[in-house]
Amino acid sequence: MALSEEQVKHVARLARLRLETGDIAQVTRDLGRVLDYMTQLNAVDTENVEPTMHVIGLAMPLREDRVEPSLTAEAALKNAPDPRDNMFGVPRIMDGGDS
Amino acid sequence: MRIYEMTAGDIASKVRRKELSATECMEEIAERIGRVEPFVGAFLHLNLDEAMRQARAIDNLPSGERERLPLAGVPVAVKDNMATQTMPTTAASKILEGFVAPYDATVVSRLRHAGAVIVGKTNMDEFAMGSSTEHSAYQLTRNPWDQDRVPGGSSGGSAAAVAAQMVPVALGSDTGGSIRQPASYCGVTGFKPTYGRVSRYGLIAFASSLDQIGPLARNVDDASLIYEVIAGYDPLDASSLRVEKALPKATDVSWANVRIGVPKQYGSSGLDAGVQARLAEVISRLESQGASVVEVSLPHTEYAIAAYYLVAPAEASSNLSRFDGVRYGYRAPGADLLEMYENTRAQGFGEEVKRRILLGTHALSAGYYDAYYLKAQKIRTLIRQDFEQAFAAVDVILTPTTPDLAFRFGEKSQDPLQMYLSDVYTVTANLAGIPAISTPAGLAGGLPVGMQWLGPIMGEESLLHIARGFEKLWPSEGWPALGGDA
Repeated sequence: MALSEEQVKHVARLARLRLETGDIAQVTRDLGRVLDYMTQLNAVDTENVEPTMHVIGLAMPLREDRVEPSLTAEAALKNAPDPRDNMFGVPRIMDGGDS
Repeated sequence: MRIYEMTAGDIASKVRRKELSATECMEEIAERIGRVEPFVGAFLHLNLDEAMRQARAIDNLPSGERERLPLAGVPVAVKDNMATQTMPTTAASKILEGFVAPYDATVVSRLRHAGAVIVGKTNMDEFAMGSSTEHSAYQLTRNPWDQDRVPGGSSGGSAAAVAAQMVPVALGSDTGGSIRQPASYCGVTGFKPTYGRVSRYGLIAFASSLDQIGPLARNVDDASLIYEVIAGYDPLDASSLRVEKALPKATDVSWANVRIGVPKQYGSSGLDAGVQARLAEVISRLESQGASVVEVSLPHTEYAIAAYYLVAPAEASSNLSRFDGVRYGYRAPGADLLEMYENTRAQGFGEEVKRRILLGTHALSAGYYDAYYLKAQKIRTLIRQDFEQAFAAVDVILTPTTPDLAFRFGEKSQDPLQMYLSDVYTVTANLAGIPAISTPAGLAGGLPVGMQWLGPIMGEESLLHIARGFEKLWPSEGWPALGGDA
């Protein structure tokens, strides 16, 4: 189940992580080794086994739909790299500009 | 006895009775930290001025209020992945450099309300991903027993701070052994409660179905004391248990009534000869007390590491998507939003974190989800069932906490898979959600050896009781000499 460099580039794009061209070979090797180790799981018959999504079978708790006090805009923006007009500033979503 | 040598329980009871002031305690702790911390490097942030203010506030309380505080004046260190308003919270990552949370984690506010004084935030592997604290973006933490060796991880700073007697107790978080493994390497007690016992609100999420906060301490009573304060239902954490917590009985353990299981699968490859010998000595001492020690079978343990290193990175890849340079933390320049995301995350995350994000993203991606993530979750069911069957016949399961002793810096950091394999005894408790505690069992060649005790789900009461009984049977003999200690 080893990965190709193309697959690693695809996964990096999904994860929003820029990989330097020089690092791709090493990353591919590291991930390949770990995934090789995972192939041992194929030896286990899990045909009739339910997956464990949570160890305690809790029902998702519900609460009243009521307005509660929450962070002020000032507190929420305190750590923002680019607070603008009481909002989080980001670069353009389409390419070709920086604001 | 010096104040820094005292247990949390003793400090609290003396402060409650005004035999010791919280201020006096904090002054000596500050002096201790100043003298010892340069050799250890346990803390990423210290705020001793704030700690002194908190201590004075406790001393100034009316005695009726102070007498009700279970942790009156107790200095506590908190792992740097738990939100604190008075200090930065970075999870030892560059991507959160300088971040100061706008709220306290539930565990932090519970500590404060109990009268504890938060002295600082401890070093860790970045986002709790690692077993040596070498993956911190900021600094190395040295093992107080041998400064050429790692303290373990990922709660390495908390374990080292407690072993170096800079604080009596600290909080850690445990996703695959991150409390128990450093506790073992540093010769302290480290306790991971049942999943859901302790609120995760304000804990920077690594793998949400596995993460659990717990104490590190120099004895089981102090670990229980912290557990009592931090455990309990919290409406801010949807996975928080509504079940009443039970505390250990104060009585001695009558070993003749204790059935201890030792997994036959755990004695295999990679177990250090010194650790193996110590396990045999521990078993014979328990048997000499009348305990019945029997072999139990946990056949799916051999798949635990593979399952864990799919489940944990998969959940991490989702949790860490929030670090995108928009709302907080580091932002790298980029011509558009996508480029900003990719640059921010490439520059802000360390190598191990990136490796796990890629692994987890792959395990969840189209065409691979069933083969990896779902398969691993099914193996998890089999591991849970192994434990359920074993606990039908025994009260507690005993293993070494780690297959080896504290290793030298750099010894394993070049080989990710090798580092992962050292979690072999600890990850099963997280996959099954059960409580587990590591207690020291002396030294081997000058380095601490830890024994791990596993209990059934919500079986903390009996687990802590047995662990305390073992502590009496195998007491720790002193702490490492540091910074001019005689």
